[in-house]
Amino acid sequence: MKHIIVFFAALLLGITASAQSGKNIYQKYSDAENVSAVYVSPAMFRMIGQIPDLEVGADNVNLSSVIRTLSGLYILNSENASINSALRADAERFVNSSRYELLMEAKDSGQTVRMYTVGNDKTIEGFVMISVDDGEVTFICLDGQMPRKDFEELVAKEMSK
Amino acid sequence: MKTLEEIENLSLEELEMKAAENAAPVPDGLERRLRQALAARELADAARPRPARWIPYASLAVAAAAAALVVLPQRGPKDTFDDPLLAYAEVEKAFQTISDKMSVGTDILRDAEQTAGMPYNTLNKIQK
Repeated sequence: MKHIIVFFAALLLGITASAQSGKNIYQKYSDAENVSAVYVSPAMFRMIGQIPDLEVGADNVNLSSVIRTLSGLYILNSENASINSALRADAERFVNSSRYELLMEAKDSGQTVRMYTVGNDKTIEGFVMISVDDGEVTFICLDGQMPRKDFEELVAKEMSK
Repeated sequence: MKTLEEIENLSLEELEMKAAENAAPVPDGLERRLRQALAARELADAARPRPARWIPYASLAVAAAAAALVVLPQRGPKDTFDDPLLAYAEVEKAFQTISDKMSVGTDILRDAEQTAGMPYNTLNKIQK
């Protein structure tokens, strides 16, 4: 009987751990007050990828190569003090429980920004940004199969704009 | 000594009378000791963990929940935009936000580089 209990407990833990994702966090907080939420589905990304003149826009920054590899985007921006700490804790639990690696951390004048990626040397399968500012928490989660080189170039170009 | 046949012919009352005549003496305090032993046994039974009846039911419930999670289709959130161009604009904005936040780190790094370079520049000026 003990073995059965241990088995089911392990199964439940596994399911719980796998259930923790950007989608879960989005669904948990997206309807809260003072929270702006954006979700772009894989189907919508496929539609974006079919826009013919995608390369033209965005001030010489070519998003198309990255956008066509994306399969989900979750953005939460919370100015709700009563949920900010919970949102931050859930987001950190998510990246810590998954295979995410810290890409960058910056702390400046009370603002903390952490960026995480999961994948390998060539491909980014997931990107998470958690930004905590005075009374504001931003959570961005990108899923996909982004070429690391393209993603880094894109972010670098956006920074130089 | 009565034969077996004689014993079988005795009535119930006669048998009880015979038994009462030859009753063995009850040791002193036997009743008290029996009560104590029974009470101790009850206490020990109460303290012993019993296999809970709910465990099989709980296991079944967990298994059902796990199966439901695996089998039932997961309802995803609803798309924020219906128009791919608006969605594209939002994606671009998201990348801009990521870049802005990343620049917080690079600004700090740039400041640190300048600070670290100050002694080197000063030494260079002195040498010149």
